[in-house]
Amino acid sequence: MTHYLDLVTASAKQHKKQSRMTRLCIVLAVFLVTVIFSMADMEMRSQMAQAVKSDGSWHVGFGVDEEQWALLAARPEVEKLARYGSLNYHLRDGWFMGDYETGICGFDRELLDIFPAAEIIEGEFPSGPGETVINELTRIKLGLGIGDTAVLRTPRGDLREYRITGIASDTALTAKHDACMMFLNLEDFGQLYREDTGEAKELVAFVVYRPFCNIQKATEEICCQLGIEQGMVRQNVKVITLMFQSRDSYMMGFYFVAAVLAVLVMAAGVLMITSSMNSDIARRTEFFGMLRCLGATGKQVIRFVRREALGWCKSAIPAGVLAGVAVTWGLCGMLRLLSPGLFDGMPVLGISLPGVGAGVVIGLTTVFLAAKRPARRAAGVSPLTAVSGNAGTVQAAKRAANTWLFRVDTALGVHHAIGSRKTLFLVTGSFAFSILLFLSFSTAIDFMYHAITPLRPSAPDYYGYSGDTSNSMPGELAAELGEYPFVKRAFGRSCGEAVWQTEGEQRVLTVISYDEQQFQWAKKGLLEGSLPDAVEGRGLLLAWHEGDLPSVGDSVFLLCGEDGRETSVAGILSDVPFTYGTGGDTGSGGELAICSEDLFRELFGETGYAVIDIQFRPGVTDAQVQELRRTVESRCGEGIAFSDRRISNREVKGAGYSLAVFLYGFLAVIALIAFFNIVNCIAMSVSARMREYGAMRAVGMTVRQLVRMVWGEALTYTFFGVIFGCLGGLPLNRLLFGWLVTERWGDAWEMPGRELLVILSVMACAVFLAVRGPARQIRGMSVVETL
Amino acid sequence: MEILKVDNLRKVYGSGEAKVEAVKNVSFSMQKGEFGAVVGASGSGKSTLLNCIGGLDNADSGRVYLNGKDILAMGENERTVFRRQNIGFIFQAFHLIPELDVEQNIIFPLLLDYRKPDREQVEELLEVLGLQDRRRHLPGQLSGGQQQRVAIGRALVARPALILADEPTGNLDSQSSQDVMDLLCKASRRYSQTVLMITHNMNLTSAADRVFRVTDGVLEELGGVQQ
Repeated sequence: MTHYLDLVTASAKQHKKQSRMTRLCIVLAVFLVTVIFSMADMEMRSQMAQAVKSDGSWHVGFGVDEEQWALLAARPEVEKLARYGSLNYHLRDGWFMGDYETGICGFDRELLDIFPAAEIIEGEFPSGPGETVINELTRIKLGLGIGDTAVLRTPRGDLREYRITGIASDTALTAKHDACMMFLNLEDFGQLYREDTGEAKELVAFVVYRPFCNIQKATEEICCQLGIEQGMVRQNVKVITLMFQSRDSYMMGFYFVAAVLAVLVMAAGVLMITSSMNSDIARRTEFFGMLRCLGATGKQVIRFVRREALGWCKSAIPAGVLAGVAVTWGLCGMLRLLSPGLFDGMPVLGISLPGVGAGVVIGLTTVFLAAKRPARRAAGVSPLTAVSGNAGTVQAAKRAANTWLFRVDTALGVHHAIGSRKTLFLVTGSFAFSILLFLSFSTAIDFMYHAITPLRPSAPDYYGYSGDTSNSMPGELAAELGEYPFVKRAFGRSCGEAVWQTEGEQRVLTVISYDEQQFQWAKKGLLEGSLPDAVEGRGLLLAWHEGDLPSVGDSVFLLCGEDGRETSVAGILSDVPFTYGTGGDTGSGGELAICSEDLFRELFGETGYAVIDIQFRPGVTDAQVQELRRTVESRCGEGIAFSDRRISNREVKGAGYSLAVFLYGFLAVIALIAFFNIVNCIAMSVSARMREYGAMRAVGMTVRQLVRMVWGEALTYTFFGVIFGCLGGLPLNRLLFGWLVTERWGDAWEMPGRELLVILSVMACAVFLAVRGPARQIRGMSVVETL
Repeated sequence: MEILKVDNLRKVYGSGEAKVEAVKNVSFSMQKGEFGAVVGASGSGKSTLLNCIGGLDNADSGRVYLNGKDILAMGENERTVFRRQNIGFIFQAFHLIPELDVEQNIIFPLLLDYRKPDREQVEELLEVLGLQDRRRHLPGQLSGGQQQRVAIGRALVARPALILADEPTGNLDSQSSQDVMDLLCKASRRYSQTVLMITHNMNLTSAADRVFRVTDGVLEELGGVQQ
């Protein structure tokens, strides 16, 4: 030893076991913070990957002419730039390939880098005049291939011929609308546009800015410089939001909530380290007093404590970070496994710098902050107190335990918990904090289940619908389609419009029929009323919306065509996930009601379906889908349209998976914090009182009585923690639920019994384990050595 | 009447070259109501002997009979219950329960037995100890001498057959030391309890019926080695 601080190393070697708990706490806190931030980072990455995949990587699109385009290309903040124009975007302007309405897009080759979804899977981008790329659906529908000639009929009836140079994959949008697409280079597109409209082509320039560019500021400058009106500018909201550059007020609110929650979780980690360090250092007050006796100044003791804390950090922080990174790798691997294809871009063994950085910085800062107070306390111990053996590790009691209410062992345990108001506040506060966090976060899960519809079991992969909204699809066709081995489920819905006579006004009501299965899916969304009544045709289920709604049990008179009929309201549904009509919209956007197929038949006299939904088994091929499509076409004739939702379902499902992994992971981390916090608090409290326990053992307290005492203490903390946690957490849960769910979907708040059960079970487990460890310690305790 | 019988007690710490024989084949016995004092240099093995007799520590060999029952042959739980009912301990550092007041500390061994204390007995004890006006005070609010009187009360309350005191006056001034000694003697006489006390202070041995010396783990009764 050459310096008094060398004692830190020597002491650490001797007291490795004593400081183990504190080191473990630092490891855990760093681990939790690393995991939380890495998971958030990973979630952002996966959302970004999906946003890029579905919407492209562009940041801003400007409506520009040739001159503006040249100026835009010269801007230093622009990294990638590509022009794009379209004709017949809504597939109703009369551009045909064969019998199919065809959308035509013209763009620069660079656009393919910005929109990875529009990948050319075969052949090349059209470079010369008279060349085109068609999409996969067109190839299947028209039986064309590379080298063939695609003939385009314009609305004027002219024919244009193009040589096919490549095939592009279908995007979610083209598959959903069952659209034939033709991609041209800008020269050919411009010519076509001019010939059709007599005007110069209108193009959108998609811009990808350089990294670290202030997108909003740069966009404003560009608009100002090039004289582009705000109406000609569009932003890729998802991508910009994920880059934290959105100014959207809803998104700003979202950022704020995320920041507050991150701070709350960090605070929980900080609390954990602080309490364990406080206890560890308080336990050695005598030792620090002894240092003072030997001539160490207060400052030297503070320095000693800080150096010791740094020593713990040296091993605990890397261990916590490593564990955090390992868990993040596991989660990344899980996402890739859950949704192969969507998360291919996500590195399984990637390291999240924000996660690691947050772990290290928060670990170091917390340890130093946590060491400050105990170090001052240690420095403040009078040498006399230290040597007299009265530097109690536990604060002197201020009032006596109540031995009349409980047995002495339990009474002492309860008193250990409530004896010091400060400790009681800190410990129960940290327990309550975990419950509060858990209950607050659990509303995000409700939000997720409402917001991401395709994750619902009812979401179709493919559906056919009558283009004129009539119930022209045979009722038995759904059952026939269900027979295909690659079809998991096929179900249909009829649709009709009725006039609803209410107090002095007539409202249009869209009535949809449900079969048994669809009613079962609707069960979860039933806000009030009786599902069996609706299933058995005794009434309608109305979809909730803001405004005037009849009550359950009310009679309603419906005018269906020329006939009128009275029925009743059997219940209210929070929402109707099924959509109807062209493009999957519910059509009028008016009021919706659900009824049984029998009631529908009675009301409208029709037995056919307007929509047939199909869910496929995994591994279905495009050829099988086409086979099914041909069957429907042959049975229903002309006028049937299709929508292929497989790609969009996969994309949203992927987004749902990653959000679910993130949210459930977050909940798990909060539960873990609660778990370790409880275990740690009890273990610390017990180890701080070991000497007292030794004395109790000496005067005749049995191990069982001592353990009962620890139980008393643990349960008291838990009792108050649960009370305060529920008092704070339930109103917060209700508030957040109202804001996130009720306001949008109308679901009434219910007591979050399941969530409470989960967190309370975690706490019960933690208390059980928290007592088990110290109980073992007490059993193995040597009375003589402890005294 | 023989209350305590120690037979060939041996306790060894460590092994190999670091092996220390703290108690070497000690044998002696004590009668009911006898007051014994044990003296010896620091590290001679006095406390180890007392801890083995009280069942706080395990011996390597030998027997300790209290009221005819072998303490060392008992299981941990049985020994603990036996200890709180038959042996009273008094420590140099008092070891009171800081969360219990004076009265609660005194009746603590009875509470551990889930017994209701006899009010008269408690009052008498408080009177003997001179702690009647301090009954609701917490240990932290008492002087060292008062704390040790509480510890004596706690050792006496269950009317144990044997009281083991490990340097009960070690942390006290001379006046308090004398008070404690008087109390111990008074209790021993009044309740016919056997007391075995370790002390450094030879002056305090004058009150004892028998005096033992421990040297390097060997116990001898002054005036002749006990068998």
